[in-house]
Amino acid sequence: MGRYVLARLWQGLLVVLGVTLTVFVVTRLVGNPVDLMLPLSASAEQRAAFAQQIGLDQPLPVQFARFLGDLATLDFGQSLWQRRPAAEVVFERLPNTALLVAAGLGAALVLAVPLGIIAATRPDGPVDRVIVGAGLLGLSMPQFWVGLILIYVFAVQLKWLPTSGSATWWHLVLPAVTLGLAPLARLTMLTRSAVIDELNKPYVKTARAKGMPRRRVLGVHTLRNVAIGVLTLAGWELILALSGYTVVVETVFAWPGIGLTAIQAIQRGDLFLVQAIVFVIAGIIVIINIALDLLFKAIDPRIDVR
Amino acid sequence: MVRLSRLGLWGALAAGVLATALPAQAQEITVAIGSEPSTLDPQLRDDGGERQVNDNIYETLMARTADGELVPGLAAQAPTQVDETTWEFELRDGITFHNGEPFDADAVVASVARIIDPANNSEQMGYLNTITGAEKVDDDTVRITTSGPDPILPSRMYWMKMIPPAYAESGDIGAAPVGTGPYKFVEWDRGNQIVLEANEDYWDGAPEIKKITYRFVGEAGTRLSGLMAGEFDVITNLLPEFVPTVPNAAAVDGLETSVLILGTDNEVLKDPKVREALNLAVNRDAMVEGLFQGHATVAGGHHINPRAFGYNDTLEPYAYDVERARALIAEAGAEGKTVRIVGENGRWLKSREQVEAIAAYWAEIGLDVEIEIQEFSQYLDSLMGDGPRPDAIFVANSNELMDADRESSFIYHKDGAASSNSDAEMAEMIDQARVTTDTAAREKLYHDVFQKGRELSYTVPLFNLQDIYGMSERIDWQPRSDAKLMVKEMSVSN
Repeated sequence: MGRYVLARLWQGLLVVLGVTLTVFVVTRLVGNPVDLMLPLSASAEQRAAFAQQIGLDQPLPVQFARFLGDLATLDFGQSLWQRRPAAEVVFERLPNTALLVAAGLGAALVLAVPLGIIAATRPDGPVDRVIVGAGLLGLSMPQFWVGLILIYVFAVQLKWLPTSGSATWWHLVLPAVTLGLAPLARLTMLTRSAVIDELNKPYVKTARAKGMPRRRVLGVHTLRNVAIGVLTLAGWELILALSGYTVVVETVFAWPGIGLTAIQAIQRGDLFLVQAIVFVIAGIIVIINIALDLLFKAIDPRIDVR
Repeated sequence: MVRLSRLGLWGALAAGVLATALPAQAQEITVAIGSEPSTLDPQLRDDGGERQVNDNIYETLMARTADGELVPGLAAQAPTQVDETTWEFELRDGITFHNGEPFDADAVVASVARIIDPANNSEQMGYLNTITGAEKVDDDTVRITTSGPDPILPSRMYWMKMIPPAYAESGDIGAAPVGTGPYKFVEWDRGNQIVLEANEDYWDGAPEIKKITYRFVGEAGTRLSGLMAGEFDVITNLLPEFVPTVPNAAAVDGLETSVLILGTDNEVLKDPKVREALNLAVNRDAMVEGLFQGHATVAGGHHINPRAFGYNDTLEPYAYDVERARALIAEAGAEGKTVRIVGENGRWLKSREQVEAIAAYWAEIGLDVEIEIQEFSQYLDSLMGDGPRPDAIFVANSNELMDADRESSFIYHKDGAASSNSDAEMAEMIDQARVTTDTAAREKLYHDVFQKGRELSYTVPLFNLQDIYGMSERIDWQPRSDAKLMVKEMSVSN
């Protein structure tokens, strides 16, 4: 077990370095980052001086070696855009994203499981149809659009909630709903179909035949088997949210998280901040994956994690 | 009895609420800007978000009126020229920074030294690159020196914010700014808001609005929503199509002029007839209405900001004449030839739409037009890199110094970063204009450069774009043509 975790962490580190190297190379090869960073009015001398100052005049392998050397001391370099350490920016914004993702996906998971079970207990009944219909709707709306519609209805028309920003807990509601809507739909659908599958299996019939109440069969045996699939999807949703969806949601709601910061850093050619963000997010994703594997092992002892 | 006292209580409460809430509200505004300042250090970055805040905190030796006229700011009067490379500024008396440091010749010397220090690598050096130093004559007099004759030094000083020397050394100027201006810094809650309060001791009179809260909202639709929901009083960069929606909007001719730079040495475009045809084919008036809902002005035959020094107002905009354009293409034997046009998406207002509209106009006169919308860093490489020049490349060029040198050096001069021509004679005229201190002679040089540029159709000048602001009903403000968001010029009704 301990060895398994260590091995996975080692593999994970290689993955993170691989991702970071890719980003490192791509950001330096597509166009000239100095042009992105400096205003159009900058002179040729200014550009050259700037490239030299941040080490961009060195060959790529030298730059990468330097980057790794600094990384060993957890130094991601200075954010060129904000003129302060990149790590400081990342760890200032990361909690905001964590809060948003926890609220959005947490609510989605908590709602999806009961909704899916309710829908599955009477497949094709009226309740099931409403849930499936709503789920399809939730799946087909792009987040960007959902966000703007929610702002229009709940902030501009009804004035119940603020349009954007992060000052109070009320500010969290609309972005979290926007982020959680599609995962809620997907998780509900998966729970529903998994429960339907399980309920048709022989062990359920046996349990029912020997007189076990339906609720107990569902709660004890079926849910345990369904849980792995639902948690796998939930983990995937978490990864999707961290690696992309938060960019959209945070941009729409001006939520000062890591997704918004990432897109701004890319637009401004802030290589060092982009590298820091990619490294940290990739690291978090690796850890999520390992944690999920361990969780599965706890739920289903048949799973072998050696 | 009970009823009466209750009524009394409610009455007192209501009166109290009214008395405290209303006046406070009248003096406070919330401004939504497009991006959070990268730093609040006023001398390091070329950053619109930073300027929108710091323009209210810091001041410069020279200032501009709302119409763009250069007037003394912290200087007592316009500078005098001591010799070709030395300018002398008299300073206003008795001004202090918000922390009590005096604003004097030492402060100017320190401000100049700090911004030109190569170690600070200031991005603003693009506006200040001729400045070599400053020296104190006496407490209220300072001399600024340039590397060569620099006729636009006074305009440059409108770009250099004056910092308190002791605080810049010891304090955290990037996080907590201290200036001489009408507003004082209160707090910066990163990611969320910046708050400023009125400087009651401001030398030019305390401002009417007592508190400003800046919010950072990048998405145009969300900024609009915040205005409609009553959360914001002023929003920047309102899209033209939203103008009819908002309670109150104001537009002003801005700093940006859009243009297509033509590859004058390229196979098809080396013929001036083709380049003229490319100009005549474009219905600019229709684009002003269709793309900008009227919030743009057709450029006057050259791509220079109409309020910039050197603008040649004798040059007419290109006519829209498809017949003549077709004839010119036929004369040049260019029918069916391929023309490649490069643009980007999203960095400037409607930049992709402008490129697409123009490509359609060019197709109409019998050219085979290829549109290439590039990712921004790739686009910058096309615009300024060493590779082959595109037949046409779009750029919206901003003229902060309000001087024709900007667009001339960048686009018309053969060695300019975005230039696509190899006209040595024109380059020499521009070089000369840059160092000619005689105002009339200098203006004549620019007029001649632009006349030539127009005759040979080196570019396809497009539009001078307006800056549009959305405002709540209680705000009364006429925006400035230099795009500075000066809250002291705003007033609040009710």
